[in-house]
Amino acid sequence: MATQTPSKAASSWTAGIRRGTDGIRRWLNETMLAGRPLIWYVTGWRFAVIALVVAILLPLVPTSAYSDIQSLLVAMISVFVYIMLALGLNIVVGYAGLLDLGYVAFFVIGSYTMAAGTYGSINDFAGKLHDLPTLPFILLIPIGAFIAGIFGILLGAPTLRLRGDYLAIVTLGFGEIVPVVFANIPIFFGQTGISATQPAPITTPVGIISFTDPFNHAPFYYLALAVAVLVTLGCYALRSSSIGRAWVAIREDETAAEASGVNLTRTKLLAFALGAFVGGIGGVINTAAFPSITPLGFSFAISITVLIMVVLGGIGSIPGVIIGALVLRLFDVFLLQRINDPVHQSFLVAPVNAPLHVLANVDFNTLKLLIYGIVLVAMILLRPQGLIPDARRRRELKGVGAAPEGVSAVGAFEQEEAGMSAATTADVLDPSEYTGAGSDAQGREG
Amino acid sequence: MAQEQATANSPTHDQAPSLLQINGLVQRFGGLTAVDGVDLDIRKGQIYSVIGPNGAGKTTVFNVITGIYKPSAGQILFDGTQVAGMKPDQIVRRGITRTFQNIRLFNNMTVLENVLVGQHTRLPGDVVSALFRLPNYRRAERRAEQRAIELLGFFGQGMIERKDEYAANLSYAERRRVEIARALGSSPKLMLLDEPTAGMNDAETADAVQYIQRLRREFNLTILLIEHKLQVTMGISDRIAVLDYGKKIAEGVPAEIQRNERVIEAYLGRKAAVE
Repeated sequence: MATQTPSKAASSWTAGIRRGTDGIRRWLNETMLAGRPLIWYVTGWRFAVIALVVAILLPLVPTSAYSDIQSLLVAMISVFVYIMLALGLNIVVGYAGLLDLGYVAFFVIGSYTMAAGTYGSINDFAGKLHDLPTLPFILLIPIGAFIAGIFGILLGAPTLRLRGDYLAIVTLGFGEIVPVVFANIPIFFGQTGISATQPAPITTPVGIISFTDPFNHAPFYYLALAVAVLVTLGCYALRSSSIGRAWVAIREDETAAEASGVNLTRTKLLAFALGAFVGGIGGVINTAAFPSITPLGFSFAISITVLIMVVLGGIGSIPGVIIGALVLRLFDVFLLQRINDPVHQSFLVAPVNAPLHVLANVDFNTLKLLIYGIVLVAMILLRPQGLIPDARRRRELKGVGAAPEGVSAVGAFEQEEAGMSAATTADVLDPSEYTGAGSDAQGREG
Repeated sequence: MAQEQATANSPTHDQAPSLLQINGLVQRFGGLTAVDGVDLDIRKGQIYSVIGPNGAGKTTVFNVITGIYKPSAGQILFDGTQVAGMKPDQIVRRGITRTFQNIRLFNNMTVLENVLVGQHTRLPGDVVSALFRLPNYRRAERRAEQRAIELLGFFGQGMIERKDEYAANLSYAERRRVEIARALGSSPKLMLLDEPTAGMNDAETADAVQYIQRLRREFNLTILLIEHKLQVTMGISDRIAVLDYGKKIAEGVPAEIQRNERVIEAYLGRKAAVE
């Protein structure tokens, strides 16, 4: 597997980073808030509660129309969409262990469902315009999800016998084909793309709520948040169900799973379908928020970005995947620009930094994928199990029986939790397991 | 000694109706014929052993019965229905279950989860009830969990206490037990055990022999067994079939098999047989 343990050669600079994470962990352990170490607050369900409260309160920060808070809200809408995408891909890659490199296909299908469902007209193949009834946005969410789900089955079916690299290549092909099909059929205006009509305002007892007010993004923010929360709950429910167990079982050992009565075809197709279903929801929401779409805007880079989110956060781990999506997408649509400008305008022009002046013409925005690539390589070297690993996956990568004790406070909380979530957040900052990393290979064989 | 007792107490079920009937089973892999026209007739309630030298095709017979391979020719009638060519999960649904020679647990799942996967066919598998945790779904999950614990309890309180342990952390003998508990989850009529005592010491083997007999008694099972240790097979089997080079060379009650010259020849060579 690519997720091998760090070798001795890489140890000098990795050791530096480990010291860094060690420092953060110690800081979390030693900094007290209301009589408890900070790490207590980022462990298990407390973290989920705190994150949700912060997410709900964020739009309530007093703000003027052009402040950063409003652009942060817009960025967060995109973050929520990518959280959905990452959770959807996590079903396929994380639970069922099927490497899907073409996940963007379902995002495209959801997006076009939203656009075609609200645009009001479509071309026929001769280029003649026809009226099409428009549908309300709220109805288009399930419709887009179902259409994407059906395509998930259609695209999944031919890959059932494939594993590993072969599966990855075929799915990669699908991810390329779907946008190209939309670019080349005139129905949805080909390469020109199409614009969705944004959701209509709704009248409530407390007043009219507009989803399109450029000075108030809060309503759409809450909408996207709500859908993301529903998707998350769905993922939790699935994971602990017999379906979730069957997914993990086929990932672990297909033959034994079949011999236990798991129908491979159905279980794999279900993973593809539900992953695609969630991708479709993401597409609908995204297009409702950012209505102009062009087929070639849906690139392979999206599939890869979502995959990196899953790997970064921790394959198979719901909190991990959410954090992965949050970190990367926020970096992409919010932080990068805000780092780029000051760096160019002050840091690089300062005479002290003369050796770095070669970078003056480099727009960091264009280096996004390079940065992702570096992050991915660093993750695989340093922390293959992800930021907040799934308990199972963490075991897999650490090897059998080698459960190193964390520093006291962390260890105590892990025991306290005692459930699946036990070793999640606290573990983010626990460097001790690297020390046992050398025994990984033996552990897996044993 | 426990073995002798069991043989004395249990009838050989020769008069019982047929549960698994295999007629003219052939399995080819390219140019190699691994199983060559094997007939077996396993009666309800029997402990039936298949023995033979390495490479005789015993495990292949198991793999064909459980649907991992499609037979090249021949019939497999289970409870009167043809199961040859069915998919493994359909065969599990009909009541055949198995364990593997090299134990195949889901190592990164807990013991309880492993046993729950074994009950997969008995749980509602639709997405809607799983997503919304409908009452009937939750009841089924709760029942499944109780049953999983009961199945672990078959091997004593110690296994119940291990239920939240990851399967990879178990001892060898414990792993065998979890595999059997998982196999019991589908409420089978026939259990195929592929070398259940391989790699076990004498004490563990004696223990395994005991629970194989208890399996038949307490779960009303018919057991088809591959076993290398002759003292095990001879002690607990009602009937034994001997395979060599993919062919059945002998069949009968243990006493007959022990005297059979072709069997001795297959195991020890021609010279030994003549002497």
